[in-house]
Amino acid sequence: MNCETCQLKELELDPAEIRDVLRCVLHTIFFHRALGLVRPKDVDCELFEITYVQCGDAELEKKIDEKIEQFVAWSEKHPNRKSQVCLSFYEVKSKQSSWFGIKVERQHWEHWIVNVNVHPIHPPKSSFLNTREKVLEETSTRRSALETSVREVLFQIIKFANEKQEHIPPITNSEVVSFPYEITTPSSSESQFGWNKDVIKRILHSGHPYSLS
Amino acid sequence: MAAHSDSGRTTEQIVSQFLSKALHAILAARIPYIHGPTPPPSRHPRKRDRWFHLALGDPPPALEHPSGLIPNGVMEPLVVDILLSPRDDPTMPEAIVERWVAQCEAPAPWSPLHSPAETSSNSFLVKRTYKKSIILLRSIYSVLRLLPAQRVFKMLCASNQSYNHDLTYRVSSFAEPFSRKEEAEFQYHCFAPVETQSGQLAVSVQYRPSLSQFNLEISSLLPPMLITDYVGSPAADPMRAFPSSPSERTGTRSSTSFPLRGSQHGQPSTSAPASAPVFFNRPHSWTGGPSEVPSNRAQHPNHPPTGSYRKPAFNFDEFKFSPPFYMSPTPSPPKFSGSYMQSPLRSETAPVSIPQSGSSKVKVLRSPNLSDPTRNFLPPPSPRSARTTDPSSQDSDSRSFRRPDGLRTSDGYSNMYGTPKGLKDGRDDSGRFSLSGSPRFTFSRSSSRISVPDDLDDPDFSYPFAVDDVDSSDSQARSNDGKEVSDFGHASSSHKSQDAAVGVLVHMLRTAAPLRDSTYSSQSSKSELQEEGLGSTSSFFMSRKASDALEELQSYKSIKEMLLSQSKGKLH
Repeated sequence: MNCETCQLKELELDPAEIRDVLRCVLHTIFFHRALGLVRPKDVDCELFEITYVQCGDAELEKKIDEKIEQFVAWSEKHPNRKSQVCLSFYEVKSKQSSWFGIKVERQHWEHWIVNVNVHPIHPPKSSFLNTREKVLEETSTRRSALETSVREVLFQIIKFANEKQEHIPPITNSEVVSFPYEITTPSSSESQFGWNKDVIKRILHSGHPYSLS
Repeated sequence: MAAHSDSGRTTEQIVSQFLSKALHAILAARIPYIHGPTPPPSRHPRKRDRWFHLALGDPPPALEHPSGLIPNGVMEPLVVDILLSPRDDPTMPEAIVERWVAQCEAPAPWSPLHSPAETSSNSFLVKRTYKKSIILLRSIYSVLRLLPAQRVFKMLCASNQSYNHDLTYRVSSFAEPFSRKEEAEFQYHCFAPVETQSGQLAVSVQYRPSLSQFNLEISSLLPPMLITDYVGSPAADPMRAFPSSPSERTGTRSSTSFPLRGSQHGQPSTSAPASAPVFFNRPHSWTGGPSEVPSNRAQHPNHPPTGSYRKPAFNFDEFKFSPPFYMSPTPSPPKFSGSYMQSPLRSETAPVSIPQSGSSKVKVLRSPNLSDPTRNFLPPPSPRSARTTDPSSQDSDSRSFRRPDGLRTSDGYSNMYGTPKGLKDGRDDSGRFSLSGSPRFTFSRSSSRISVPDDLDDPDFSYPFAVDDVDSSDSQARSNDGKEVSDFGHASSSHKSQDAAVGVLVHMLRTAAPLRDSTYSSQSSKSELQEEGLGSTSSFFMSRKASDALEELQSYKSIKEMLLSQSKGKLH
């Protein structure tokens, strides 16, 4: 089975914008991949004039929020770094009992990589040249540009979700999130080079070479 | 072949349901109150919700019969135009802000879909078609929230303001081509098509990237709305007078939460529960093909179109896609029920039926408006006060209340509530004792109960300010010991304006016999001379005079205290 990977456009975020942006992006992905019966729920972003759709599953919302909080905590410890949040869908292929317990083999069929560059955006120090209005204007401009970028990312998700469908396995249960998934954040791997190494390793093991887009 | 036909019918059903659901999603995200004023309650998903695993709730009545949308088969395109229609300016044309086109295009001759396939592959194709349709519908649902028209929709839904534009829609099977200029103003987004046995199911949208050119703003024309806190309402000021006529009413725009706001989000986030369904009028049209006459009418929803798909399949006259508070096009105030808050009208404020004199035991106590510090109980004399007693006037109803300025009123309580205008007019001489034009006397029954002497509680007690006492002869007033008291009692049962009452009092005081007149003085002198002889008689005579005077004085004092206390209670 092919494993498709979607690398989303990088987003430059202020730490205060992480939660809003990641919720928006992750829920949009889930809305297109949680093929169980959903009662869609419209949610307005707090910082942007963007309305996205959630699946209306409380457990899913809770898990997403937990992962986002993990990422926020990690980004606070590692400021000014580019990082990624990876949402992967997989199938449980086999369960093998071993000395250490039951080993579950997962075969990933799709990866969504959310690229973020979190760095505190300090407004320019006010001087006799920089008025308060100018500072606010610059902040507003930056926020508006970020909103445009988030919209582009959402359209990118929709485009990818529509174009790449052949690899999606058949629906086997009636749950809202019909496929098992995992959300990987940098905090899950404390390696010196970050968790990127783990993600790349996973991709190389499970994905088709041409799936790297 | 049979399997192929079965799969073909299944595919056709999938496409038909898809088009219906797509239309439902589009209209729910673009037309406020497509479901009416009350949002559909959350409930267990029905069979219709299970289609494409997307529970959108009950569709509008127009979409109850998906087959009505495509009477000519699934190969007919479905074109949905979302229009921004100016409300206040009928000369301005409506503009298309979005155009959704969903169509099942026939497969190309060289396409593998063109030729009949095996049963297993048919089944596989159907499943794949269905799965892809699920994702396509999710994408349509998401894109609807990302386009600029979503903001307009939210503004019209969420706000209780009236905007100068409305969102309307037009469904047809033919897309009128845009002009080159219009085409340049639109951006195009095409969804990945879904392969079906009937062809490729393709959905696309043309939308305006910016709607700033339409100057969407709050309309200056306020739609009719029910105002609860109008001046004089119990909600605003219980002690305030109820206006006598509608023209006198002034109302402020209240932020009444209209409970009729629906939500297209499936959750009444901005709406209050409503119990009374109210429908809005909004123009819409289902346009047909080139051969059909565009119709702006809608049929009854229970009668799906039998002929052309162009004919309206439902009665959309009930659905009025207007801001929440726009209830009806008529200027008459709409009638609300249910959760719409209306404080019960108090008896003091409502124009109550005036009981006839003698039938009511209610003691009506008037209190003058004592807020004016310059006021005193002795207004300037009125013309009537100078009038001599006229026996004929005494024949008038004992409860008639003649105002000092000559205004006449009928008997009983009608004097109290009738002609508040007259009350105002009659305040020329006694403006200090205005009733504020209210026929309502709050001091009458509810609050400020003033302790009055027991005499006043007597039904026969005549209110001291009764007009009928004004023209009563002095001899009559003096000859009857308790007559005046009884007269006061009668007057209390039929009230009259304060100023008239004061005028009467003044008249009485003026016409009352002096406490010490010549007769008395002569009698007193006689009594002095005959003090020893006629001491008892003279003293009796003196005491009689004094007793009357004292009694009168007491009654006046009590009345004064009562009026003062009532006014104080009013001020507080």
